[in-house]
Amino acid sequence: MKTLVVDDFATMRKIVKNVLRQIDITNVVEAENGKQAIEILKADPGFELIVSDWIMPEMTGIEFLKACKEDEAIRTIPFVMVTAEAQKDSVLEAIKAGVDNYIVKPFTPDNLQKAIEKAKTKAGR
Amino acid sequence: MDAAFVNPYLVAVQNVFTTMLGIQIAMGKPELKHDKLTSGEVTGVMGFAGDKKGMFSFSLTKESTLQVYKSMVGEEAQTVTPEVIDCIGELTNIISGQARVQIEKLGYKLSAALPTVIVGEKVEISFITKVPVVVLPFTFQVNGTAGKFYLDFSFE
Repeated sequence: MKTLVVDDFATMRKIVKNVLRQIDITNVVEAENGKQAIEILKADPGFELIVSDWIMPEMTGIEFLKACKEDEAIRTIPFVMVTAEAQKDSVLEAIKAGVDNYIVKPFTPDNLQKAIEKAKTKAGR
Repeated sequence: MDAAFVNPYLVAVQNVFTTMLGIQIAMGKPELKHDKLTSGEVTGVMGFAGDKKGMFSFSLTKESTLQVYKSMVGEEAQTVTPEVIDCIGELTNIISGQARVQIEKLGYKLSAALPTVIVGEKVEISFITKVPVVVLPFTFQVNGTAGKFYLDFSFE
């Protein structure tokens, strides 16, 4: 499953990649922020999953999510927000913006796998 | 300083260390901070605002920082590299997020900014606050080696 991991912290991208590898997702591309991620997605239509942080410079995770859901070519790619923002208002904001699933840090490989499965179902994939 | 705010940080840091690092931690006796210096050698700092405003820091010894980095990322570092600093910044962010969820249960909504990481021993750091700063000391063991860190926080 070709996956785009978006986070401004390189270490966190590495951790997410390691966790994805544990659930047999090894084809992973990285982006440092939403703006870079959008450019990657527009250049390559083959992505099957997006895993994104929320608090990022240039374009936040929410702004990136909204941009994805407004783009016909990208909107059906399952989008999982992986973030430290765990308060109810944050979760509601992401749901309203169209997130397919939301997982709070800290997470286990099992948590992430379940979140991805639910996101795929919601996105109709 | 309301002692009720100790528990959110305790729950948060236990959850983060257990889930993400696989490390059991033990909390020592909370104290009031009597100086304006970082408690450890690598310190993540975050401010927050909303129904309460304040600061919190996650401060580790250098050895503990490297132990935590290895547990989190699965790689060894010999010194405090930019990747290690990234890791502490992210842990600070995650602990803050978890603590804010617990604090929300007390009826207070808080928002936080991006973390800052300070590297250095006994660096002067001033929590701009009229209330005392609480220090929570923690210890842990990884492969028989002892580690320690401190959470400092203030609310007003």
